[in-house]
Amino acid sequence: MRWNNVRLILLREVRDQLRDRRTLFMVAVLPIMLYPLLGLAMAQMMSSFNEQTRTVLVLGAAELPGPPLIEGDRFITDYFDDPADAEKLRVLTEESIATVDDEALQDFATEALQMRPLIEELAEITETIDDARETAGEAASLTALEKREAELRALIGDWFNRGPVQVLIVVPDGFREQFDAVNRRLARDDSQEEIPELPHPIVLENGAVDTSAIAFRRVQQALRRWEKKLLEDRLEQAQLPPSIHTPFDATDVNLAEEDQIAASVWSKLFPTLLIIMSVTGAFYPAIDVGAGEKERGTMETLLICPATRTEIVAGKFLTVMLFSLTTALLNLLSMGFTGKYMLQMSTASAFSQFGSFSFPPLSALLWLGVLSIPISALFSALSLAFAMFAKSSKEGQYYLTPLLIVTIGITVFCLNPAVEISPYFSVMPVMGPALLLKALLLGSTSPVRLSIYFLPVLVSSFLYSAMALWWAIELFRSEDVLFRGAERFDLRSWIRHLARDKESTPNFSEAGFCFVLILLLQFAFQSKIQADFAKATAADAMSKLFDTQMIYLIVTVATPALMMAVMLTTSVRKTLKLYWPSASMLAAGCVLPFFLLPLSFELGQFLNRTFFPELPAGVAEVFRSLGDAEVSVWMALATFALTPAICEELAFRGFILSGMEHSGRRWLPIILSSCAFGIVHMVAQQVFNAMLLGLVLGLLAVRSRSLLPGVLFHLLYNGTQVVLTRVDPAPFAGGWREHLFTVQAVGEDTVLRYDPLLLVICAVVAVPILAWLVSTHDGDDSPSAREKRLRIEPAEPAAMAPDAAS
Amino acid sequence: MIAVEQLTKEFADLQRGSVVALDGATFQVQPGEVFGLLGPNGAGKTTCLRILSTVLKPTSGRAVVAGYDVAEHPERVRNNIGFMSSNTGLYDRMTAWELVEYYGRLYGMPEGPLQERLETIFETLQMNDFRDLLSSKMSTGMKQKVSIARTIVHDPPVLIFDEPTSGLDVLVARAVLKTIESLKEQGKCIIFSTHIMREVERLCDRVAIIHRGRILDMGGLTELSQRHQQPDMEELFFHLIDRHDSESDLIAATP
Repeated sequence: MRWNNVRLILLREVRDQLRDRRTLFMVAVLPIMLYPLLGLAMAQMMSSFNEQTRTVLVLGAAELPGPPLIEGDRFITDYFDDPADAEKLRVLTEESIATVDDEALQDFATEALQMRPLIEELAEITETIDDARETAGEAASLTALEKREAELRALIGDWFNRGPVQVLIVVPDGFREQFDAVNRRLARDDSQEEIPELPHPIVLENGAVDTSAIAFRRVQQALRRWEKKLLEDRLEQAQLPPSIHTPFDATDVNLAEEDQIAASVWSKLFPTLLIIMSVTGAFYPAIDVGAGEKERGTMETLLICPATRTEIVAGKFLTVMLFSLTTALLNLLSMGFTGKYMLQMSTASAFSQFGSFSFPPLSALLWLGVLSIPISALFSALSLAFAMFAKSSKEGQYYLTPLLIVTIGITVFCLNPAVEISPYFSVMPVMGPALLLKALLLGSTSPVRLSIYFLPVLVSSFLYSAMALWWAIELFRSEDVLFRGAERFDLRSWIRHLARDKESTPNFSEAGFCFVLILLLQFAFQSKIQADFAKATAADAMSKLFDTQMIYLIVTVATPALMMAVMLTTSVRKTLKLYWPSASMLAAGCVLPFFLLPLSFELGQFLNRTFFPELPAGVAEVFRSLGDAEVSVWMALATFALTPAICEELAFRGFILSGMEHSGRRWLPIILSSCAFGIVHMVAQQVFNAMLLGLVLGLLAVRSRSLLPGVLFHLLYNGTQVVLTRVDPAPFAGGWREHLFTVQAVGEDTVLRYDPLLLVICAVVAVPILAWLVSTHDGDDSPSAREKRLRIEPAEPAAMAPDAAS
Repeated sequence: MIAVEQLTKEFADLQRGSVVALDGATFQVQPGEVFGLLGPNGAGKTTCLRILSTVLKPTSGRAVVAGYDVAEHPERVRNNIGFMSSNTGLYDRMTAWELVEYYGRLYGMPEGPLQERLETIFETLQMNDFRDLLSSKMSTGMKQKVSIARTIVHDPPVLIFDEPTSGLDVLVARAVLKTIESLKEQGKCIIFSTHIMREVERLCDRVAIIHRGRILDMGGLTELSQRHQQPDMEELFFHLIDRHDSESDLIAATP
């Protein structure tokens, strides 16, 4: 790659973008204008919303005891945290409503008086039902009451929701009289006399309607304060200290400093905005330099200059990344300053805790700059790949929505306060940088402790970006993608094309579709499997679970692969690799599992300790049940060794690998099929394990041109695991064997662990076999050799079982 | 300078299955010669020229341009050719001067000679009036001149023109043809595709008539008319195409 050409292309593209008013507007003007304007609009909307006054109607206000609750048409200001809140409620009583010049309100008050008995009945029934529910057993006798409750609810709700009042308070008749009687009784301190129960006032609201809910919250606040006042009066009359109702009053000492509260806000806002703006900032320039160039016909001009395709993509990638970074950082700046300004300006009590609302420390901001690079690099490369694939700007725009939705999903996940950076998350795309940034901005963990994540985050992000960029370059090299004509899509001709232009093995997209189909089927079956996992603890449900597991594999994994092989290819045999392998390949398939199992087990154990999140409970339960004596060992072997060995090999090493091999490349099919194999395993640990084994299985299948060595490997590998859970590990630990094995107690179970010496022996055996597998190829990976490989039909060896049986 | 042997290109097509766009083309072009590819739309002219300019890879066969194989050394080939077609667009947001300068730099020309060369080209093609005009503001004729300037900025020994006059008015087309004539006088090796007979008669030393991916016949203009006893180029062209179509129909009809 000549950097001079990359630089030339970069400079040209940047100048081109800067001369485009739309790009400039999107990148610079929009963020600078957007946030202040948005802030202004929000402030206006908030204020207009708050000024609305809600109406509260009190029936029987004259019956309210003790110090006054209502003054004029307001609750008394003292009863609110914020005195201004009193102004937001207009309180009307039967007396004062006559003076109000509003017919609707007067009608409502009249109706309310008629409805009063019904409201009281409803309150009583609700109370009875709630009491009865607490004491179990009486539930059966409630049906009649519940029916009546539903009736009353519907009736009253209908009337109330139409009315102009948000909260209705009903004070029982003679309430003041009875309340004062209780007070007098308590003051006499005659403990022999029983204290009569007071009737309950009723507060009617509709919590589903925002206006009513907000008014209710305010009314509740006022009522509580007022009630407390009443209680203090009562205590005073009884000559008891007024503080008696709070046995002890815990003092709240909040250590949160002003800048920490600010930090918590920034730690949520900045990573979110950074990610979303990196995507949008990358996408529009990417569409312009990718699909836009094809559309305007300048792409061909560029293709015939001496710059290589890699140099062209690199130049375009750097351009896109530059704009993505600029957009993201400008947005952060603009939003940061606007947010700070607005919070400082706001005198509302809700925000007073923010104080000066300082910015994060300079060091955190520097990290923000550093981590924005891997984030925008990944999105720039991805956007560019989409843009290269699209044949027009219009088509390119369509790809923004799915990309944005996935990104927003990840961002929302990272926003969850419970999600913190961990070794596992640190190597996940986007999540790693986002969570690290969140932790740095929050400042609650010292940067020194976070520093162990810097390298994994940066290295993994760099690898993901490199992969995405490689994909973009691959697309740019493909003639199909560069010269995709505007073909009219016609379903009928497409189906005819599938039927007519069948080849002996599936093509790349058919393999991809098979994988997606397997994922979708698994998703559809997920709820059923999960229900079975939930029941898995009951011993009798175990064998049922095993049955479903087998059916699940056959239906979701084997069936799609077999069906597609029959329908979409001319040679099921070649697609599914149903040939006899050479004896050496068979031997490799039989020997490798025993030597790889200890290695992969110990690697898994190590990573479980240091890297992966804990296994979900249901999955762990199933693993434990493998050793469960209730289920026969044959059943366990059939479920977890034989069925997966056949089903998964047919799908992943059969249909999908054959389809990927259609690309003519040597390593890509093996890597992609092992990724597909990993992804269907769902749980992080298994995904990783399956990917590693998938590499070996793929290698075996490609080199032997047969499915059988892989099936054997898979069967023996899983079978050994099942058997190990059944046998007593004690004999392994005696005599000379103690240098090789250790028996470890885990809870009630014992687990066989492998000692370093054994691991070395395993590696010494396995590595040469793998190296031999890797080296047995024709060595040439030029395009013409790829073509040749594709055309070579394997020599017709003796057929495998299916033919022999017939 | 250009040597093509059994060049074949297949495309996958949704409607028709696999399509052979170019079927075993073989020809040579010498320096100082204009070689014409004459054929109707969809005959395979563009495919052939795109393979020569290394934008497409041949399915089989070999093509050597300026001494380099197009499949093995595509970058060296691209360094030694100039390619222009009606599809090769200009960047809207660049001026004439910037665009030609940009390509000159991509061809690795040192800054001093590049500026001299630019001055000469802008002088000879009479482009100094609009050297600082953005492409989006240019007329078709101006754009075509910029395209030519871009094609020849690095003074390549081989020039490939794919229907350079299509969609142009007569005046501009004439200017383009004149430029090609002067390039021929400079001893360049030129390959030129068109479906316009008059252009062939005016420019080409030798011509290949191409139809449905196959070269039906090839040779000097007089040689061809003598061989088929058709003095008129247009009649000759239709004669060859008709003969080919009826032959292939016959083959298709025979069981």
